[in-house]
Amino acid sequence: MIKIENLHKTFGKNEVLKGISTEIGQGEVVAVIGPSGSGKSTFLRCINMLEEPTEGKILFKDQEVTTQASKIQQIRKKIGMVFQHFHLFPHMTVLDNLTYAPVTVNKMPKREAEAAARELLKRVGLEDKEGEYPGRLSGGQKQRVAIARALAMNPEVMLFDEPTSALDPEMVKEVLDVMKSLAQSGMTMAIVTHEMGFAKEVADRVLFLDGGILVEDAVPAKFFAQPKSERAQAFLEKVL
Amino acid sequence: MFKKTHVLLTLVLLVIFSLAGNVLPGQHQAAAKEKHNKTLVMGTSADYAPYEYIDTAKGNKIIGFDVDVARHIADKLGYNLVIKDMDFNGLVPALDAKRVDFVMAGMTPNAERKKKVDFSNTYYKAKQLIVTNDPKIKKIEDLKGKAIGVQLGSIQEKEAKKIADKVDNVTIEKRNKVPDLVQEIMSKRFNAAVIEDGVAIEYLNKNPDLSSFVIPGSASAGSAVAFQKGSDLTEKFNKEIAAMKKNGELDQYAKKWFEPKTEKKAEKKSIVDFSTIMPSIPYILKGILTTLKFVVVSILLGFVLGTILALFKISKVNVLRWGADAYTSIFRGTPLILQLLIIYNATPQLTGYKIEPFLAGVLTFGLNSAAYVSEIIRAGINGVDKGQREASMALGVSYGSMMRQIILPQALKNILPALMNEFITLTKESAIIAVIGTTDIMRRAQIVGADTYRYFEPLITAGIIYYLMVMALTVLGRMLERRMSRGD
Repeated sequence: MIKIENLHKTFGKNEVLKGISTEIGQGEVVAVIGPSGSGKSTFLRCINMLEEPTEGKILFKDQEVTTQASKIQQIRKKIGMVFQHFHLFPHMTVLDNLTYAPVTVNKMPKREAEAAARELLKRVGLEDKEGEYPGRLSGGQKQRVAIARALAMNPEVMLFDEPTSALDPEMVKEVLDVMKSLAQSGMTMAIVTHEMGFAKEVADRVLFLDGGILVEDAVPAKFFAQPKSERAQAFLEKVL
Repeated sequence: MFKKTHVLLTLVLLVIFSLAGNVLPGQHQAAAKEKHNKTLVMGTSADYAPYEYIDTAKGNKIIGFDVDVARHIADKLGYNLVIKDMDFNGLVPALDAKRVDFVMAGMTPNAERKKKVDFSNTYYKAKQLIVTNDPKIKKIEDLKGKAIGVQLGSIQEKEAKKIADKVDNVTIEKRNKVPDLVQEIMSKRFNAAVIEDGVAIEYLNKNPDLSSFVIPGSASAGSAVAFQKGSDLTEKFNKEIAAMKKNGELDQYAKKWFEPKTEKKAEKKSIVDFSTIMPSIPYILKGILTTLKFVVVSILLGFVLGTILALFKISKVNVLRWGADAYTSIFRGTPLILQLLIIYNATPQLTGYKIEPFLAGVLTFGLNSAAYVSEIIRAGINGVDKGQREASMALGVSYGSMMRQIILPQALKNILPALMNEFITLTKESAIIAVIGTTDIMRRAQIVGADTYRYFEPLITAGIIYYLMVMALTVLGRMLERRMSRGD
């Protein structure tokens, strides 16, 4: 579904990604892990062009994302994204947050969008919050709304950029549970995360990045049991 | 949510168009009866009683000696008369710009003016008086070491210079209007002023403290009608003036307006007396509509333009960014009144388009305000969390929708107090448009002052009106703020 070829990204003089190539298949759940500063988030943000790659190619369903600035909006509609800090629209109610993009971008009739949004809210367990403004929700609730907002566009892929890092510990589970059920429903997902337990349990593959290089690409059982590289070993020793 | 913004936008556009459609300034005065099918436009400065002024207690009609004479002549020549009121200094430029067909404003033909316009023969000769409230000043020599006031660019200014040549230490102070001169005398900033007899008589009648004497050998160039260079009206007017002189009609008008009234030497009035201007207050109140209309259109124009400029300023296109920055720099770096006079006076000179005072004012204030508003909005946009932009982009939302529905609404909430401040400033500064003769609150207060010879009362009245308008804006701002902060 997504193919990444020789991806480079440089900020000023700082080369954050040094040539990454990999693929994410249909229905696959990929966990991207690594020490901070390893380029995980940048990698994820390149996939929907929130960061423009300095070099290399990204293909979404065989369409080249990187060279088609004009089509990027069309492609982004198919790629949902969830941010560490939620980025809900604070001036809109929860329901409006969910219906905004379907109505504005996809020209979906408002009534239909609202019905779909209510369905999604039920799915993330927030059906009673549709009239609230984001400012009144807890962190975990906000992130669940953010997931529902991304899902409202019916994406084919979901990108998660450290979705639980900004949450109080007691709220992590409710978000992970939503993600888990999403994974089970067959959604293609790329998740940058520090939740090793979650990666182990839910991911089909683990990508381990360090210093802008894709150091390991393995199934979780293998990666967590016996990482090949020293860097991965050192990292796992620290976090586990 | 979106519906609301659309309704608002539609409303804004409606207001702009409807107002742009009827930018008729309030000072047109059609002849009472449209008995001819041709029309002559006369320019005058209606603060020069008894030549031309507005009896503000009775309405907003311009009356006076000049008006009677003009109406008489126009009628004889087969024209309807329309009178346009403006600042005295704007009269010759108005002729130049063909805004008016002729000017009658107690204007004296002098060499400078003759360079730009043609004059008729004089229809009234006046004597120049020294008007003072110092009983010790009885002859020219008594003016030694004194300050005397004159109207800027008037024949009296020349007269004052002659006095200064003869008498030691005379300082000459210039003001735009005769009422200002009298006011300065009352405030004891001037010891005396040079005013022509016909005008001075009204002040002397109403003010027992003032005394006067004729300046010996004073030039009596007299008042004449001014026309565009080469106008064929000059000869026609000359013929009619000659006829009126011959059959005594001119004398009759002069008697009507210049003879001292029997009620001379009225009892001394108390220092502050609102009863004298009471009948004129409705006249001032009518200015609220003009000011409001002006302020609303200017704010809308400034806001729309300011938003566009703000978007230019954050754009990635260098030309747009530089353009918007240069624009702001120019409009913030020069005085507002200068911009107003350039747009009002230079537009006809450069393009031939006779821009109306209201339109010129709205343009100036809108363009000027846009410079400030764009800075406020730019700061507001930059103040919105970058994540909002990313979240919108990730959802495939277009730049336009993102700005209109996500970024700007949040920016506006943060900058509302700063915007309200700008709108309040604009409301107060709108008083400047009085300069180009728009009959707003300020101009009307000045006209009432000129008519009633009292200044404190009409100005305080105007002040109260402005204050109440600003208070209303402040309250509105607070209400908006409260509304927008729901959800926090």
